[in-house]
Amino acid sequence: MNWKLWSLKKSIWVFHVNTGACNNCDIEIVNLLTPKFDVERFGIKLVGSPRHADALLVTGGGTRQAAVRLREVYRQTAKPCVVFCMGACACGMGIFEKGYHMAGPIDKIVKEVDPNAIIAYVPGCPPKPETMISGVVKALSAL
Amino acid sequence: MKQHELDNRLSTIEDKLIRIERRRAPSAAEGAGDRVYLLCEREQVFEICRFLFEDLALRFVISTGVDAEDCFEVLHHFANDESGCIATVRAFIRDRENPEIESITPLIPGAEWIEREMHDVLGIGFKNHPNLRRLILDDDWPEGVYPLRKEVQT
Repeated sequence: MNWKLWSLKKSIWVFHVNTGACNNCDIEIVNLLTPKFDVERFGIKLVGSPRHADALLVTGGGTRQAAVRLREVYRQTAKPCVVFCMGACACGMGIFEKGYHMAGPIDKIVKEVDPNAIIAYVPGCPPKPETMISGVVKALSAL
Repeated sequence: MKQHELDNRLSTIEDKLIRIERRRAPSAAEGAGDRVYLLCEREQVFEICRFLFEDLALRFVISTGVDAEDCFEVLHHFANDESGCIATVRAFIRDRENPEIESITPLIPGAEWIEREMHDVLGIGFKNHPNLRRLILDDDWPEGVYPLRKEVQT
């Protein structure tokens, strides 16, 4: 295994990006940090800057206003990194698919910056915390 | 306050303001029994809102903008919380090319943002609005394109 990927897969630090979510996915992500799910036991930690992060947890469908910011956050994230699309909106814009304000979905926005970006999808509206953990584990074991 | 009391109060509008049409909500879904529409042209909207807000002391709830194809409608909703009755001022803007209506923000500061939003998405101008800047559309949205107008296809 490539040493960069090996180091990425140990205790990933995540940065949370909201690109126009309704807050439901965000609440479930916060739920991951509570004692009940406690993802810090896997070394998964929420950090305050994309420069410290190994992964981006993206919620929301990617509005036109947020797309510019998401691209900038992705540029500033230390590579290699994984982008997790959390929830139905992030995976495929969900019910906002035909909205005039949408620039998404997230994978399209991120691939405009880096066509080889590693993107994982966790669908659900919102996905349960267990689903999120399982999505992260599956994505990391597929790397 | 019961329905007939609100009705009695509202009926004084007709005494004070000439040519005001008053209509009950047509169906239960629209709140028949506890809802009154006050139909007016755009020139009269400020005076009617002032009357409802100051003289009848109704609470301003929210405004709505509608593109009704032949005209624009701006609806200001007022509530009486004791009785649960709603009075909606329904103002028609007939000029589609240059839709403009008087702002109620100088009277009701709480209407500022909803009027900015209507200006954004429907392109309705609000005269005497203190701060009619872009509110909800993104920064590089093209000038003069109003996404909730019927002719706009997205």
